Order: sequence, then C-alpha cells, then structure tokens
Amino acid sequence: MNNMTKKQQVWLVTSWEFMHFFKWKQEIISKLILVAIGLIIMLWQYVKDDQLTIYKVAVPANITQFQNSGQFEFFPSHDSFNKLKQQLAEEGSWDAILSEAPTQEAIKQLTIYSKDKQSWLNDLEQTLNQQYTLQYASSLGLANEQLAVLNQAAIFENKYLDDTIKSESSPGKSTAIAMIIILSVGIFTSFGQLFVSVTGEKQQRVTEQLYACMSPQTWIDGKIFGQMLHAIKAMFTMIITAMLVYAFTAVVIDNQMVDFSIIDWSLLPWLIPFALAGVYLCTAFMAAIAAAIDDPNHSAKTSIMLLPLLPMILALITMDSPSGWALSFLSYFPLTAFAAMPVKMALIDLPLWQPLLSLGLTLIVCFWIRTSAGNLFKMGMSMYGKEPSLKDMMVWMLRKN
Amino acid sequence: MELLVNNIQKHYAKVTAIKDLSFKVKQGEIFALLGPNGAGKSSLVRMLTGFTSPDSGEISLTIDGEKHASIPSYTLGYLPEDRGLYPEKTVSKNLLYFAQLNGVNKNVAIEQAKYWLERFDLLDRFDAQLKTLSKGNQQKVQLITAVIHQPKWVILDEPFSGLDPINQEKVVTFLSELKAKGMTVILSAHQMAMVEKLADRMLLMNLGETVLYGTLEEIQQQVGSTTQLTAQFCQNITNDQLEQQFSKAEYCLIDNKTFSLNLSAQQSINDALSKITALGDLTALHSKAIDLHQLYLNAIANHGALINE
Repeated sequence: MNNMTKKQQVWLVTSWEFMHFFKWKQEIISKLILVAIGLIIMLWQYVKDDQLTIYKVAVPANITQFQNSGQFEFFPSHDSFNKLKQQLAEEGSWDAILSEAPTQEAIKQLTIYSKDKQSWLNDLEQTLNQQYTLQYASSLGLANEQLAVLNQAAIFENKYLDDTIKSESSPGKSTAIAMIIILSVGIFTSFGQLFVSVTGEKQQRVTEQLYACMSPQTWIDGKIFGQMLHAIKAMFTMIITAMLVYAFTAVVIDNQMVDFSIIDWSLLPWLIPFALAGVYLCTAFMAAIAAAIDDPNHSAKTSIMLLPLLPMILALITMDSPSGWALSFLSYFPLTAFAAMPVKMALIDLPLWQPLLSLGLTLIVCFWIRTSAGNLFKMGMSMYGKEPSLKDMMVWMLRKN
Repeated sequence: MELLVNNIQKHYAKVTAIKDLSFKVKQGEIFALLGPNGAGKSSLVRMLTGFTSPDSGEISLTIDGEKHASIPSYTLGYLPEDRGLYPEKTVSKNLLYFAQLNGVNKNVAIEQAKYWLERFDLLDRFDAQLKTLSKGNQQKVQLITAVIHQPKWVILDEPFSGLDPINQEKVVTFLSELKAKGMTVILSAHQMAMVEKLADRMLLMNLGETVLYGTLEEIQQQVGSTTQLTAQFCQNITNDQLEQQFSKAEYCLIDNKTFSLNLSAQQSINDALSKITALGDLTALHSKAIDLHQLYLNAIANHGALINE
C-alpha cells in the first residue's frame, strides 16, 4: 500500500533528478580547483604584503636623475655603461639599467636594460614617465595644480530631472549586468538538462512506469525542483568563480586590494527571490514544452525552448533607459519581470510596492505554468507517439487540472 | 472487491479502440486479456490504470468503501507495454527508486529487491548498471519493479515478450507466486500455452469487442468445440468441396491437401469421418483436444468473418 504523500514523492523525484546529473568526481575536482585558486590569491596577497620586492635601477650619472618610488630605487652610478651591463648580467647587482639617448627634443628617448622580460618593467616605465612629466612641468614653470588641469581640463557629471535614477558612481549597472549573466547561466543549465531528462525518459519508455506510481503533476514538480537545484548550484558556482577571477586579476595581475564595492549588495534581498522565481518560471516553461515533445530529433518545438532567454536579452537592451516605457513594461509583464525588475531596481530607486507587485505577478504565472506543464505531460501521455500541435498545447494549458 | 467494467467505449480521433466492453475481474485471480495486435488490449489496460478514461460506460473498483473509476495508483503494480527503466543507473537504484516512490521503506525495498532478484537468478547483478544486462534480464528487472511494493492489483502488459522459453517458465512461476501472495493479476499476452497454464479466467477481444469471456471450460463451451481432427489427402481439396460437407465455422483449410475440423462434444466422430472419407483418399488423420491457441485462432477468424459479412 502506497502511504507516500505527494510532498514526499516530489522530494524523491527532486533528489533523483538532481543526483541524475550530479557527478561527485567532477564536482569535487571543480570545487578543489576553485579552492586552490582562492588559496593562491590569499597566499599571493600575504607574500606580497610581507615581502614587497624593491627593484634596483642603475642610472648613469650623466643622465636625468630620478627620485625613489615605493617599488623602485634609483642609484646614480659613475661606472661605465659596459661595466653596469656586466654587473646586471653576471653579478646581479642591478635589476635594470637606464640609458638615455641624446636628443634636442622635449620628448626623451630612454632605453631600459634588464636580464629578461619582467612584469614590473611596465610599472617602471609608468614611474619614469610620471617623473619626466613632473620635471618637464617644472622646467616650464608650471605648478602642480596647473599640471593637474592639463591632465584633466574638465570633470563631467550627469544630473537627471528624474531624481529616482541612481548616480553614475553607484554600482547599480555592474550589479544588473552581473545578475543577468548569472541568471542566464542558471537558465542555460536547467534548459539543457531538463530537455535531456524529460525527452530522455520518454525515449527510454520510463514515463508510463512512473505515471503508475504518481500523478503527472508530482512528476513535473519533482523535475522542476531537481533542475532548479542544478541551476542554483550553477549560479552559485558562477558567482564564486567570478569573484575568484576578479580577485585573482586584482591581486595577482593589478597588484591591488580586492574591492567588492562594484556590486550593490543592498539589492541582494531582492535579487534572490527574483532569481529563484525566474529560474522556477523558466524551468517550468521548459518542462511544459519538453513534456509535449515526443521525439527531440524531429520536433519543431525544440527551438521554443530557447524563449526563456529572451527576458534577459530584453532587459540588457533596455537597461540604458531605466525609467523608459520599455523597461517599465518588462518589469511588470509576468514573463519578463524576473529579469527586468531587478535591473530597474539596480538603476533607479523604486517604492517598495513596485518590486512587490512585480514579484507577486511572477509567482502567479509560475504557478500557472507549473500546472500547465503537468497538464501537458498528462495529455501528451494519452497521445501515444503523436505529438500535440501548438493549438492542442494552448487548449491543455488553459484547462483546469 | 471486484473490478467491474460496464459497457465502456473508447475512441481516438476516428478510430474506435474499445466498443461496448463489459467484464469483471475477481480479487485474487489471474485474468488474461487476449487478442491480436490492435484488438484494444493496451487501450483497455490504460483505462484500467487510470491513464485515460472511457468515453462512455464505467469502470469501478470499491476499496474500503471508496469507489474508484480505475485501479488507484497506491494499490497498483504495472508493467507497461512501452517499457523501460533508467539504463545508466544500477539495477538496485532502479528498483529502490520505484519501490520508494510506491511508499516502501528503503530497508524493506532492499530486502524485497534481493528476494525477487534471487528468484530470477539476478542477485549477483544487484549493483550492475541496468544497460549491461541482457534484454531478457532487463525485462525481469522491469517485472520486479512492478511488484516490489507488493501491490494488491498487478497489471502486466505482455510479460512474456522478449523472454526465452526457460525464462517464460520462470515468469509463469513468478505469476503463480503473486497469486499465492493474494495479488490480483491482469495480464495481456500472446503466449497461449502460458495463459492456459496460468489464467483463471480470460477475455478474448478483437477489434475492441468481446469475442469470448470466462474460464477455459466456459470458453470451450461457448465455442462448442472440444476436439480437432486434421485430415491430409492424396489429392487437392477445395473450399467448395468442404462447404458441401461442413459449415464454414467448423473447418479451416490449412493447405491444398490438408484441413482441420473442430468438433463439439455433441458431434459424432463417426459421422465426421464418413464425411471426411467422402472427400477423397486420406494419407493422414490426427485427432487432439482443442487448446487455447486453436480456440483463439478459430474465434478470431470467425469474428473477423462475421465483421466482414
């Protein structure tokens, strides 16, 4: 006697669905790689802080002299150039030697000799260029303030009459773009796997066996939740990876501190429910279409499954005009709201009721699509090999369960 | 607790799959659904499981005072015609998944899985990937899937297909054991010898209609034939010659020189022999009791002829 509740069955299908695509070995390897990258960044930062390398640069006494900077020490030398080169090559006394070509022009021609190609040579060039600029400004009798004006003659700032639009310096835009990219990754993941899973079970003729144990709705619910978990896992992995890549670039390549203020973290409490609702909506939609596909190799409906990516594309296109009618419409249209409203929120200040209304409408449509997916699967089962037309599908989707 | 099917009809677009069908299945019996391909057996099975509903008529099963329009899933074990499991997963994972979906505790499910796998000599494949098993062995795993949760009602669509004679016998034993455990088994099959051994009662269908229904003895009485004579002649014989001696329903021309004749208990063999010898010189004559296979062939042929007329 089956004493399982529907919830228990949904959970069983969810965990089966999740584990079906969860490969322990690959997961452990990929997570270990992420941990290793994280450790490298931490170690690098530690080593760099404790042992900041100072490079010694020999400067022949007959050329322009430079002041020491944090990374470089300049040593005036009366030794011949050949002797300096020998010291560079054989004794390691120097990290670099400078040589200045005689010229009547204001622009100097400098050659930097080093043992081999090094990443700090770019920093040395920048340091020398700054010092030359200051020296030249001084020779012209320019004060530091005048030099600063020459470098940047005007500062621009945009002011909008619509005072809800957030300032340019706020991290809204980068947050919005990051959210759309992460959402796309999650939806792509569940799209691919759900398609393989649903049509695969149909091809393997396992659906009728499953149907004998539980209702089509229970089966579809389990599928949706299982794939949602995968999408969340993919999005989480993406976030961690992106943060590590950013940290690696900042710390190891650019020699800067990690600064996550490029993201507007205050949006997080809104981004999470919208992202979850969006992934659920898209996964349920894809489950509905996949449930109506009998043979994935010969079905014209496969292309429809790419539709869930449209909201993200539309949100990206319309984000340059955050208070415009297009993004406003998309923010309340239930099929696109999950992608558009967070973008709008990242770019302009909104009263609380607006995201609440948008989220509410999205959840209602989520429930409807989930029920429709169950109906489609049930009806598709009764057609035994004959694929329903789009008209049939619409009729079934509108039918009460 | 009986499953009652009253005057059900089912149409798919312009095709009539089931035409005014009525029968009942008693608790604890093995009930066979027989019929050629396209007879409507699978359509009927899908209505019994509740996958589809009849367009008219009624299916009813009362369990604990509650009336159901099909066999409810919580009491059903099902082997579908379109069958398959998860080939990438192990035998045990497949069995445990379906057992747990049917509410069986994991430890009990492991016990049951091992018990049935041992009965089918498959215990050593407990942790093997399903796809590494032969087609016949996969079929046996699928059979276990249908009963691992010890349902009260079991529907098996073609349980013998894909199995060699030895394994067909094992399935016969398996089905007998299900009956002994108190399960009611409804099976559709084409292997008449197996059905004859197993089934308490049967329904023979053709083109969505009842052709014969009851126990084997009742069916034999309905047909009226108990003995079959097969006669072979030196010279060719024709339908015209046979029609002069016998009715169309009684005989079947096997080849130019051979025909078979079905006799009821009331018919005299001597009279039949006189008529046979009047047709020409015999080279061989065999007599045997009519088995289910022959009854099936005759009944379907007669029903087809009736429809055509």
